[in-house]
Amino acid sequence: MSGFKHLCSISSVNKIPYRLSHKSHLEALKERIISGPSLQDFINNPKPVLEDDPAAWKDYDGRLKRTKEEKSRLRLPPWLKTSIPAGKKFSELKDQLRKLNLHTVCEEARCPNIGECWGGGEHGTATATIMVVTLTVLLLGDTCTRGCRFCSVKTSRTPPPPDPNEPVNTATAIASWGLDYIVLTSVDRDDLPDGGSNHFAETVRELKKRKSEILVECLVPDFRGDLDAVKTIVDSGLDVYAHNIETVEALTPFVRDRRAKYRQSLATLEAVKKFNPDMITKSSIMLGLGETDEEVRQTLVDLKSAGVDCVTLGQYMQPTKRHLLVVEYVTPEKYQYWEKVGNDMKFLYVASGPLVRSSYKAGEFFIASILKNRKSSTA
Amino acid sequence: RRVEITFVKHDGTRLKAKGKVGESLLDVVVNNGLALEGYGACEGTLTCSTCQVILTQEDYDRLPDSPEGEESDMLELARDSTPTSRLGCQIVLSEDLDGLEVNVPESPNDIRIQ
Repeated sequence: MSGFKHLCSISSVNKIPYRLSHKSHLEALKERIISGPSLQDFINNPKPVLEDDPAAWKDYDGRLKRTKEEKSRLRLPPWLKTSIPAGKKFSELKDQLRKLNLHTVCEEARCPNIGECWGGGEHGTATATIMVVTLTVLLLGDTCTRGCRFCSVKTSRTPPPPDPNEPVNTATAIASWGLDYIVLTSVDRDDLPDGGSNHFAETVRELKKRKSEILVECLVPDFRGDLDAVKTIVDSGLDVYAHNIETVEALTPFVRDRRAKYRQSLATLEAVKKFNPDMITKSSIMLGLGETDEEVRQTLVDLKSAGVDCVTLGQYMQPTKRHLLVVEYVTPEKYQYWEKVGNDMKFLYVASGPLVRSSYKAGEFFIASILKNRKSSTA
Repeated sequence: RRVEITFVKHDGTRLKAKGKVGESLLDVVVNNGLALEGYGACEGTLTCSTCQVILTQEDYDRLPDSPEGEESDMLELARDSTPTSRLGCQIVLSEDLDGLEVNVPESPNDIRIQ
């Protein structure tokens, strides 16, 4: 609860009204609603799909792969259904974010794990991916200069200029939330000379100043291949440098914005190791966009050659009608196969599953792999 | 007054749809839920080239304007664009364009999905 006191001091600086000393009738009512029955309880099905036995997924006989005759969308297989986000911690986080005008990629890109991640998992440590909004808080602050066919984040040629207070505000807020691991990400800002890298780095520094023991992962753009920008990030004091390769080489020009390039992305990841050989690097692949197994394997090989330490594989899910249709729903077994392939290639860790995203349980995986390494080195 | 547009995919599939005068081709695709994947990723802000369409020389010439500045930048970025390519989000429907047929460029999955 000490986090709230901290927030009070931030909000007085920013002149946002926030009552803490006594609960109004409205506050009390809100709390009752949050801790009361959820929508799920009212839906006329005592056994929602989630309680399906995962062993039964093998028997799912719906179509998983698009064919030429497939006119409409493939139906969502049971292993991809998630609960409607609800719960006290979820609402609290959402509330705090709105008050501070911060945005999350969780919301903007409509991640299906939002309820789980913000709820805090079994250990109660919430991992949240905060979008480092290099945009002024006047707009929603969630606008990208590129338009990729898989992503629902808004696009504009000229997003508003970055808020110079944002690094400090963000760092202060995060430091007060009691998180052990934070992922900072951003939209592409091709309109800025440094691609937003200095603003990003400043946020990391401010955060480490306030809470030196927090682990910081930065999921950064390609900065159009600008290695000075890469170095700026590397020098900021972060713990994990992440940049997503997104898909296989052959599909990159179609899936990603034309300004993004497969080799360019690999080059930035490789450069990180030149600037700091001890920096952990990470990348992520979406499956289900029409790639072949051989192409996926090659991508893992390419990432390993670029020195990438951690890789995640997840299912592409169509965020809105205007985006790419899912070509294939890859089965949970296949994800386990890729996890094995990645582990055999000796990645530091491989997170592979339909709902896995770049920062899904990033903190837990990271810490688990460090412990694993420590155990094997002392064995 | 509704104007009819036909989108012809690389494999020959013809998608017919109607739109109102003043709407763009992108609006027609979105409002009619046409099966053109990833069409209009940037929502018509001239920040991508996913709404590219290819016209006949005749149709290209009879459009009231030609691509300038930002539109031609994006078309250049597309690299699979042709001399008679336009961005669908910039083509505005008028009564003259009733019955217009445009081609949609080939996507990698046109070959892959069998």
